[in-house]
Amino acid sequence: MGSPRSGSRWPSDDQVLKSRSALSLQFFSSRLRNNIMAVLSSSSNILLLLLISFLDWLSTQGSAFIMGRDHATSSAPVEPHITECISRNQETFRCWWSPGSFHNLSSPGALRVFYLKKVLPTSEWIECPEYIYSNRECFFDVNHTSIWVPYCLQLRSQNHTYFNEDDCFTVENIVRPDPPVSSNWTLLEISPSGLSYDVMVNWEPPPSADVEMGWMRIEYEIQYRERNTTNWEALEIQPHTQQTIYGLHIGEEYEVHIRCRMQAFTKFGEFSDSIFIQVTEIPSKESTFPLTLVLLFGIVGILIIIMLIVVSQQHRLTLILLPPVPAPKIKGIDPELLKKGKLDELNFILSGGGMGGLPTYSQDYYEGEPWVEFIGIVAEDADTGEKDNQGSDTQRLLSQGISHHMNISFPDDDSGRASCYNPDLPDQDTLMLMATLLPGQPEDREASFNVVERAPAPERGERPLVQTQTGGPQTWVNTDFYAQVSNVMPSGGVVLSPGQQLRVQESTLATEEKTQKKEKKHKWSEDTEDNKQKELQFQLLVVDPEGSGYTTESNAWRISPPPSSPMPGEGYQPIHPQPVETKPAATAEDNQSPYILPDSPQSQFFAPVADYTVVQEVDSQHSLLLNPPPCQSPPPCLPEHPLKAIPAMPVGYITPELLGNLSP
Amino acid sequence: MPGNIRSVSFVVLVCLLFCSRLTSVGATPICTNAHAGCHVLSLSNLFDRVIQHSARMHGISNDLHSEFEQYFLPSRNQIGRVSRNCHTSTILTPNGKENAQKMAREELTEVILKLLVAWRDPLWHFHHSMAHYDDFNNFSSNKALEMSDMVHELRKGVEKVAEKMQVLGITSNTVNSLTSPEALLPSESAEWRLMKDYDLLYCFRRDSNKVQNYLKILKCRIVPEHGC
Repeated sequence: MGSPRSGSRWPSDDQVLKSRSALSLQFFSSRLRNNIMAVLSSSSNILLLLLISFLDWLSTQGSAFIMGRDHATSSAPVEPHITECISRNQETFRCWWSPGSFHNLSSPGALRVFYLKKVLPTSEWIECPEYIYSNRECFFDVNHTSIWVPYCLQLRSQNHTYFNEDDCFTVENIVRPDPPVSSNWTLLEISPSGLSYDVMVNWEPPPSADVEMGWMRIEYEIQYRERNTTNWEALEIQPHTQQTIYGLHIGEEYEVHIRCRMQAFTKFGEFSDSIFIQVTEIPSKESTFPLTLVLLFGIVGILIIIMLIVVSQQHRLTLILLPPVPAPKIKGIDPELLKKGKLDELNFILSGGGMGGLPTYSQDYYEGEPWVEFIGIVAEDADTGEKDNQGSDTQRLLSQGISHHMNISFPDDDSGRASCYNPDLPDQDTLMLMATLLPGQPEDREASFNVVERAPAPERGERPLVQTQTGGPQTWVNTDFYAQVSNVMPSGGVVLSPGQQLRVQESTLATEEKTQKKEKKHKWSEDTEDNKQKELQFQLLVVDPEGSGYTTESNAWRISPPPSSPMPGEGYQPIHPQPVETKPAATAEDNQSPYILPDSPQSQFFAPVADYTVVQEVDSQHSLLLNPPPCQSPPPCLPEHPLKAIPAMPVGYITPELLGNLSP
Repeated sequence: MPGNIRSVSFVVLVCLLFCSRLTSVGATPICTNAHAGCHVLSLSNLFDRVIQHSARMHGISNDLHSEFEQYFLPSRNQIGRVSRNCHTSTILTPNGKENAQKMAREELTEVILKLLVAWRDPLWHFHHSMAHYDDFNNFSSNKALEMSDMVHELRKGVEKVAEKMQVLGITSNTVNSLTSPEALLPSESAEWRLMKDYDLLYCFRRDSNKVQNYLKILKCRIVPEHGC
């Protein structure tokens, strides 16, 4: 049996002893045989044989503390002997003795220790340099310690010397280093399964061992075990001051201790203090893992749902987010023309040129447009034209034109009526409008007035149509830059832009109706009376250019000729807003409130557009009468020509200078 | 005349043999940068290699000693008996830590080299004598051969270290006196033959431990960076 070849080179003490005891006989016999064979050839072999036998016999006696104390020889009384000698740092060493069974020698000083240093061929026994009787210890300090020098110890009593050859040693062979110190552990990593982990254990070499100088070269051995178990697990001996322990289980507590020995020697030191390693579960890592997964999937799912919603509701979303922009649209005009660079064409079309010019204001054309209101006009008889007895060509022309024009069939229904209009009085509207349009027919007007009078009479307080006739609120609807001569009256009046006119009339009618219903009741009655009174009065009223809001009061004011009022024959007179105030306050207020008057709420008998005017009459002097005298409600409108020819002037605009120029 | 020719030829052969031996014994020069394919080692590296070598040598000697003790002398401690001197006892070696620390580097290096030189021949003979023991394990016989080779290589390594130290100026030039190590041995040459195998192993074990220790002390004194 030999020491293990591949493993440690150093058989342990036990192994050596056992192997020796077990094989000594066997090998000895074999050796003996060989030696006997060779004894004849060599005398040294005989000597060797004798030596072996002698030594074997000697081994039965005494103590072999160098090799361990496994075999117990208890037959003979144990004599005083050296128990053990140990060196911690290879610089000093201690030896302990025991009196054995000789108890009478146990007292201190009864036994003395002598040592022999076999340095020189002749050496002598020296007594122990330092006794420690409490431990029965002999301490050899640095000065008395030599390495690689054999020491032999003996005990001497008073009369006897106890010496054992086995008690000889060399210091390097009895070195047992101190255990390492300051050991700690750090977690290296945990396996992905979370069941096992690796640990790195660090420690310091024993402070007593001079490792820095290189005097001692130490190897370490780690042993660990689970708590409350008995078997230690030993790792490989290695000279470094750290080692990794692999494969520890989570949740279990481990106990670890370390011991060390000199390199290439056999004796280990004592174990260090145990350190305990325990790693519990780390839930944070595990819990965060599924949490992140859940969050991720949740976000992805929400995104998918949003995408689906967007895709399915695409049209609706586009409508909400991007409402369609209405394209510019003028009937009759291609939107393409409105683009840049086509202004000439646009002007051409607007001016009415070409085949595709803007159509006239026929109802068919404006069928789809609700904001265009048509007012029905009753066609005029040919008698009206004759009544004028105009001999001039123009008169005839105008009359014919008018008659022509009148023949144009305007719808007399209330198609052009606004919603606010009272459907009960369609005829009145048409009549009134006709009257306004054709101031040259006093008879008609009278008739119309009569009609008007009649109508409202039974229905007092109804819409004050009369007032609207004479004047009208100025809610100019200036949409056209151009005025068309759409009608020539037999009397010679030229009607410009009847469409505009119509609109204005409509608006005036509407506003009047809304605001002055109740208040006008009173007024109406008053006015009617005045009208009757002043039927014959001829009055040419010049509309104040600035005044936009006609008021009933103004009409009333005119109807009842105030002292300051000039004679109709005088011609026109500017109507100032002041007289309005003399009127009953109630009406005055009403007049002013509803209208968005650009300027002073002048009474206007007729509401033309600011930029143009309506030529109502042409007198014999071929002058254009722009503002016919209001013959409707209060004052009898001028049936005939105006007394004075009113030169053509812009409707609505009259400045003080112009006023002076105007000669009645 | 033919006898003369024979003797002359024999002398010539012997001379050639000795010359070759001498040249082989001579220390190889340290590799300088001029040489191609030469890998220059640092002193620390050299020391590490040498210490590793000496540690292995000591391990083998320990194994051999314990095995020998186990086979041949199983019963008792032989230290007391072995207190007769080893043939290297005449070499003065520091026996304690302070002594080793006090010793100069050159002296310490010299001691190491002396020890190594002293053991070259005895180990070679020991290996041959091992073959006579039939019962002895062949593995042990191989170990003995390995041990003798190791001593040889270790000596070369230490010589290289000494040269490097001289080149670096760490030590003076006194180590060169060891160029002829055989000169040291003639007075001791007969002694080791008287030693028994076991004693030889014991002595060698002790000396290899000395060598290892001294080398470590030297290294930790000169280049204490790694592993001290």
